[in-house]
Amino acid sequence: MTEVQLDLTVNGRRHRLSIPAHYSLLDVLRDELELTGTKTNCLEAECGVCTVVLDGKSVASCTVLAAQCQGRQVATVEGLAEGAALHPLQEAFIEFGAVQCGYCIPGMIMTAKAFLDENPRPTRESVREAIAGTLCRCTGYQKIVDAIMAAAQRLSQQGERA
Amino acid sequence: MKLEFLAPQTLQDAVTMAKARGGAARFIAGGTDLIIQARKSGAWPEAVINLQQIPGFGEIKGTGPNFSLGSLVTHRQIEREIRFAGALEALRESACVIGGHQVRNVATVGGNLCNASPAADMVPILLCLNAEVALAGSEGRRVVPLANFIEGPRKTVRASDEVMTEIAFAAPAQKFSSTFLKGGRRRAMEISIVAMAGVVSASPDGKMTDVRLAMGAAGPKAIRLTEAEKFLEGKVLSKDVLEETGMLAAAAASPIDDVRASASFRRHLAGVYARRVVELSWNRISELNDDRSAA
Ligand SMILES: Cc1cc2nc3c(=O)[nH]c(=O)nc-3n(C[C@H](O)[C@H](O)[C@H](O)COP(=O)(O)OP(=O)(O)OC[C@H]3O[C@@H](n4cnc5c(N)ncnc54)[C@H](O)[C@@H]3O)c2cc1C
Ligand code: FES
Ligand code: FES
Repeated sequence: MTEVQLDLTVNGRRHRLSIPAHYSLLDVLRDELELTGTKTNCLEAECGVCTVVLDGKSVASCTVLAAQCQGRQVATVEGLAEGAALHPLQEAFIEFGAVQCGYCIPGMIMTAKAFLDENPRPTRESVREAIAGTLCRCTGYQKIVDAIMAAAQRLSQQGERA
Repeated sequence: MKLEFLAPQTLQDAVTMAKARGGAARFIAGGTDLIIQARKSGAWPEAVINLQQIPGFGEIKGTGPNFSLGSLVTHRQIEREIRFAGALEALRESACVIGGHQVRNVATVGGNLCNASPAADMVPILLCLNAEVALAGSEGRRVVPLANFIEGPRKTVRASDEVMTEIAFAAPAQKFSSTFLKGGRRRAMEISIVAMAGVVSASPDGKMTDVRLAMGAAGPKAIRLTEAEKFLEGKVLSKDVLEETGMLAAAAASPIDDVRASASFRRHLAGVYARRVVELSWNRISELNDDRSAA
C-alpha cells in the first residue's frame, strides 16, 4: 500500500485525494489541485518560493510530505483575495512597488501573512528576520519591508474597526 | 518509487511498526533533514513512520530548575519560550538561527539530535546543560546522556526501533547565564562553520565557577571544552584569562576544510567565539541580576 488517502482543506475547500506517499505538499497543490500560484524552485527549503500557511504557520511546502498534512488546513496565495477585493498585503505590495519579476511574491506574501497573524505590530527588524527564509533576487527587499509594514498598519486598523 | 507511509497514533504502535521492518523504516518528525536527504540521494527508505500524530511529545515542561523538551518540540517553540528568556537565553539563541521561519515552524529538536550532524545547532547548549535523552524501543525505555548519545557524524546509539521521546536537563544551582554564538558567512540561513555555547555561574565571592563550554561544527561531533572549563574554574575575568581560554578552545578543535571554511579559519574562530561566549555570559550574569533587583 503505497498510495495515501489524503483529506486536506485548501483555502477552505475540502479535498479527498489518493496520492503516492512521497509527494510533497507542493506536488499536491501544483499538480493535483492545479494551484500554481505557489511556485517551485530549490526543493530544499532554502528559497521560500513554495511557502504556504499550514495550520496558521508558514512552511516550505516542498519539504513537507503531503501525507503528513492529513486533516489539516492549508492557505495559499490563491485564497487571500475575497472576490475582487485584494488582501491588504497584496494591495500594499502593488502600491509600494514591491514586485518586480514576481516569482518570489506568492511565497513572500504567505510568509508575511503567517508572521503578521502572530505579530500584528512588527518592527522593520522583525519583518526582515521573518522573511530571511524567503529570497528575492530583484527588489533588494527595501520595498517589500515597506509594503509589509504598511499592510500591518492597515490590518491592525481594520481589526480595531471590526 | 514505492515509499510506504505509516501513521501510528501511539508510541507503542510506532515502535512495533519499526521493529517489524527491521532497519528499513525511518521515523519522520518535521522531515526537514529526512526528505531533503532522501530526495538528494534518490534513496528513500522503504517506509516512513510519522511521529507527528502521537500525542504528548510536543510540549516544553517544567518551571525550573528541571525542564524537559518533548522530542517533537519545534525550534520556533523554543525560540519563543518565555521560560528560557533570561538565564537560559542560549536555548532561544540556538533555536532561532536554524533556517528561516518555514524550517523552524516544522523542524524539531528531536530530529536535530537524531540526525546528528556535526553542525547541529541545538547540540552545544544541550551538552552544556548535561541534557539526557529518553529513548523508547522494543527492548524498553532507557535514558542516555546526550554526550554519549551522539557518537560521530550522523551516528548515534539509537536502535532503529527506538523513538526519542524527550530531552531533560536541569539549570545550574548558582547564579548563572548562558550564551550561544554561531559563525557563518551570513546571518540567516547558514550552516554553522563554528558554533559555541556556554553556561557560566558566579560563586558568592564573585568568581567564575561551574563553567561549561561546548563547540559544534569544529570536529566530527560537538564536544565539551573540558580543558578550558577546568582552567576557568575560580578565575576572575581578565584579558589574559580570555586569551588562554581562546587558545585552549582552538587546541580542542579538530576541524575540516570544506566549501564553507578552511580548517585553519575554523580553528581561529573557535578561539574567538570561546572568548566572546565566556565574556558575554559573565556580563550577562550581572545584567540579569541587576534587572531583578530593579524590578
Ligand atoms: C534550509 C534549511 C536550513 C537549516 N539550517 C540549519 C541550521 O542552521 N542549524 C541546524 O542545526 N540545522 C539546520 N537545518 C537542519 C534541520 O532543520 C534540523 O536538523 C531539524 O531540527 C531536524 O528536525 P526534523 O524534525 O525536521 O527531523 P526529520 O527530518 O524528521 O528527522 C531527522 C532524522 O532524525 C530521525 N528522527 C526524528 N525525530 C526522531 C525521534 N523523535 N525519534 C527517533 N528518530 C527521530 C529521523 O528518522 C531522521 O533520521 C536546516 C534545514 C534546512 C532545510
Ligand atoms: S522550492 Fe521550497 S524552499 Fe525553494
Ligand atoms: S520580485 Fe523577482 S525574485 Fe522577488
